[in-house]
Amino acid sequence: MLRNIASGLRSLFRKEHVDRELNEELRTYLEMASAEKIKQGMSRKDAVRAVRLERGSLEVTKEVVRSAAWESFVETCWRDLQFAARMLRKNPGFTTAAVLAIALGVGINVGIFSVLNGAMLRLLPIPRAKQIVSVDQTFHGRFQRDTHGETSMFSYAEYLDYRDHNQVFSGLLAYEPFIEATLAGGKLQRLLGTASTCNYFEVLDEHPAQGRGFVGSDCAAPGENAVVVIGDALWKGTFGGDPALVGKRILLNRAAFTVIGITRPGFTGTEPFPSAFWAPITMQKALDSGRDYLASDNVSWLAMLGRVRPGVTMQQVRADLAVIAGRIDQSHPGRTTSLGIARARFFSRADEREVLVPVASVIFAAFGLVLLIACANVANLLLARASVRHREIALRLSIGASRGRLVRQLLTESLLLSLFGGALGSVLALCSFASITRFVVSRLPHEFSTLTVNVAPDFRVLAYALALTVFTGIVFGLVPALKSSRLDLNTALKEDSAHSGEGKKGGLVRSTLVGAQIAVCMILLLASGLLLRGLYYAQTVDPGFEVKDIAGAFLNLRAQGYDESRATAFVQGLRERIAALPGVFEVAQAECAPLSHDWSADEFTVPGRTDKTGIEYNHVSPEYFSVVGIPIVRGRGFTQAEARNDATVIIVTESTAQRLWPGQDPLGKTLRAGNGYEATVIGVARDAQVSHLGQLNDPYLYYSAGPRDNLRTYVLLRFAGGYPTIAKGIRQAVHALDADVPVDINTVDDYLEVWRIPSRIVAALSTGLSGLALLLGSIGIYGMVSYGVSRCVREIGIRMALGADGADVMNLVLRQAMRPVLIGALVGMIACAVVSQVLSSMLFGVSAHDAIAFISAPLILLVVALGGSYIPARRAMRVDPMVALRYE
Amino acid sequence: MPDKPSDLVQGTLDMLILKTLALEPTHGYGISVRIEQMSKGVFRLNAGSLFLAIQRLQRDGLIQGEWKPTENNRQAKYYALTAKGRKRLDNETREWGRQAAAIGRILEAS
Repeated sequence: MLRNIASGLRSLFRKEHVDRELNEELRTYLEMASAEKIKQGMSRKDAVRAVRLERGSLEVTKEVVRSAAWESFVETCWRDLQFAARMLRKNPGFTTAAVLAIALGVGINVGIFSVLNGAMLRLLPIPRAKQIVSVDQTFHGRFQRDTHGETSMFSYAEYLDYRDHNQVFSGLLAYEPFIEATLAGGKLQRLLGTASTCNYFEVLDEHPAQGRGFVGSDCAAPGENAVVVIGDALWKGTFGGDPALVGKRILLNRAAFTVIGITRPGFTGTEPFPSAFWAPITMQKALDSGRDYLASDNVSWLAMLGRVRPGVTMQQVRADLAVIAGRIDQSHPGRTTSLGIARARFFSRADEREVLVPVASVIFAAFGLVLLIACANVANLLLARASVRHREIALRLSIGASRGRLVRQLLTESLLLSLFGGALGSVLALCSFASITRFVVSRLPHEFSTLTVNVAPDFRVLAYALALTVFTGIVFGLVPALKSSRLDLNTALKEDSAHSGEGKKGGLVRSTLVGAQIAVCMILLLASGLLLRGLYYAQTVDPGFEVKDIAGAFLNLRAQGYDESRATAFVQGLRERIAALPGVFEVAQAECAPLSHDWSADEFTVPGRTDKTGIEYNHVSPEYFSVVGIPIVRGRGFTQAEARNDATVIIVTESTAQRLWPGQDPLGKTLRAGNGYEATVIGVARDAQVSHLGQLNDPYLYYSAGPRDNLRTYVLLRFAGGYPTIAKGIRQAVHALDADVPVDINTVDDYLEVWRIPSRIVAALSTGLSGLALLLGSIGIYGMVSYGVSRCVREIGIRMALGADGADVMNLVLRQAMRPVLIGALVGMIACAVVSQVLSSMLFGVSAHDAIAFISAPLILLVVALGGSYIPARRAMRVDPMVALRYE
Repeated sequence: MPDKPSDLVQGTLDMLILKTLALEPTHGYGISVRIEQMSKGVFRLNAGSLFLAIQRLQRDGLIQGEWKPTENNRQAKYYALTAKGRKRLDNETREWGRQAAAIGRILEAS
């Protein structure tokens, strides 16, 4: 094998020498053979002829021997490449157009792939990340389980079981991601942190840049060792790079922690949202507002990562852990667990993938469609050019080039084109997508804006770019190559170049390509039309309550160590101070502020019936309904006397009443909550979209808020005048009562804005994409029509000579041009009507078959298509019959 | 047509060339003459297939070429078996014998 390659390389680089040797050898052969014949009495000439007859032509032999070796394949490729480069250089206009179209198509696809790669495919940014696997679980059958985080996470008892009984890990760690904590002192600051087992840094092989990581004794007993490791960003930012921070004490959620270490720059934990600090898992209760998860063995709250022992395969890991899972299931009859085990990446838990994979595939498909349009465009350009090169190809076929050889050569040309385009596009994408991603992420709702995605190219991105480029080159090059190499030589050579070329069939291929572009354009346009309509609706929707001039101040007093009576006193004092602020009309309280992405739900039953209804609920103070402007349409609102936690009264919405007691008077009816607590309906409130924007008719009910609700509450107020003054007043009021309590102040308009952001981003994205698609599509139409016109100059000339006027010609050209456009548009509309269901979750209050979008998008497309064909059609109109007939 | 040379059984040409060279190193023409003689004119080699096979065997390192003067004082490339080539020939000869015997038994069965 090696010798073969060496010898092949030798003949590649010493081609002349090798050729001479073969020549020499064959000549000797011929001479020896003919010498034999001469000896038998033939003349020299006859002898040579006889040898050739017997042994075959030596020229052919040379060719056979030469082309059998692999290096000759390389050599013809190289010749093709040189030829292709020459052809591309000769047509700079065509080459530029094609390269730009491919660069655009490939570029945005490589860009979006680099984002997905950074978010979901890269291994964790830690040493020897290949050995780290993530473990998550899915339950089947009958089970009851509490969740704090994601359902696929583990309880502490389960973690201990896996840690102590597995044979495959050199270390298994668990952590609670996304702990929200307030850092007291100076400026109050909210942080996202991690509570981890004490082998965390050891298993990850991460060593803090200063101080130390956790050691086993830090986790010896619950609540004992209040130590914390601080992230590099927090140290440099909030603590200003304090060189003596290690050893100092900081307050997190009111508990004192001693800083024992600072991580290396760049280590932000094992989640895509950077962690600001790490505390031992045994300190969970102090951080999580007094709730104790360590003791419960049936709550999902821990993510697990293990470092696999060297030499252990993934199959072994799966088999080993499945045994442990099976044993745990035995103490939960009726429940079976399946484990998800994979190399650890960001977003690798089943719950996360379930959400992200469909979204990612829709985005991917949309970007792919633009590439498809670009391909169709370039294919069309190639087809147009192929008919110009008609004679060249016919000539080469007639002097003996095989069809396969010709296809190979044409494909080399298109591959060269796509390589240029792909390289240009990829470089541009890789340079720009880092900043584009940062920009988009910074526009995401607050809680997602810290998301970090490493979009830097790795081998996967490069491989993807290369594969996409080659694929593109073949996709747009194959049809033109196959088509233009299938020629009828006789007619091709006889025809003149002016109007030689494809007949009807060629026109069909080209119109099909344009039609396909239009169809894809249509899908993208309609999708973005629907999304824009949804956005418009979200901007202008009347949610059924007062949105303007209402603010909410969120307080989580439980997290600050308050008990019920202290919290009640605090909130009471705060409400009085706020009510006294100038410009504040009325103050109320609610468990969930309208549209704040905060909600509670339960399963309710009507006593005497068996069916359960899932209903969202809210605990509100009596003033709530007048502050947010929701009228009570029947019965009455809550009274101050009912502001107790044991008040058995509820207010339902109209549609809840309609659903539960159709045609009956809801007043006086009772409803039983999931925990058996029964309450009587005393009033009916008008429907309002207080929980989810766009959901008007979902059932909803209100409880009366009691003292217990003060532990975690929104104080709502209606105000007039400048919001900044009000917000400042509220903040001062809170800090006058307790300087360490953090408060979140927003207007309801702000809450509403968060609902609009996803649709705003998606709408911007799809509008941009469909703009690109439209641009490419109109260029495609323009190219097709102007090419068609240039080929029909003579036909047009004859028609005009026979009496047709400009309008007739224009008609003819436009009619021909519009047929593929109309068919494509129709196909696109049908396809979009089918897929728009996918978008429906993004479309607040807009039907997936919204009439306005389905009328305006085709109109835009038609106008653009007409514009694209009008310019060349005008040229056709101006054809001078005398010139046209003499043409050629 | 008795004078038309038979086609070689696929894959046996390499073996025949190796066998020829095992007797004595020789040049391309020598190989074809010797194969013709030994087969009593049954196999007649076309130059194309001969030199193709020579190139293949050379690249696989089974034979080795060297330019030498012939008895008529002409330069010709003489090929000789390498150690690897000799081993291959032994193997193939044994294998061939086994297969030929087996095929013979099948054809003779009635």
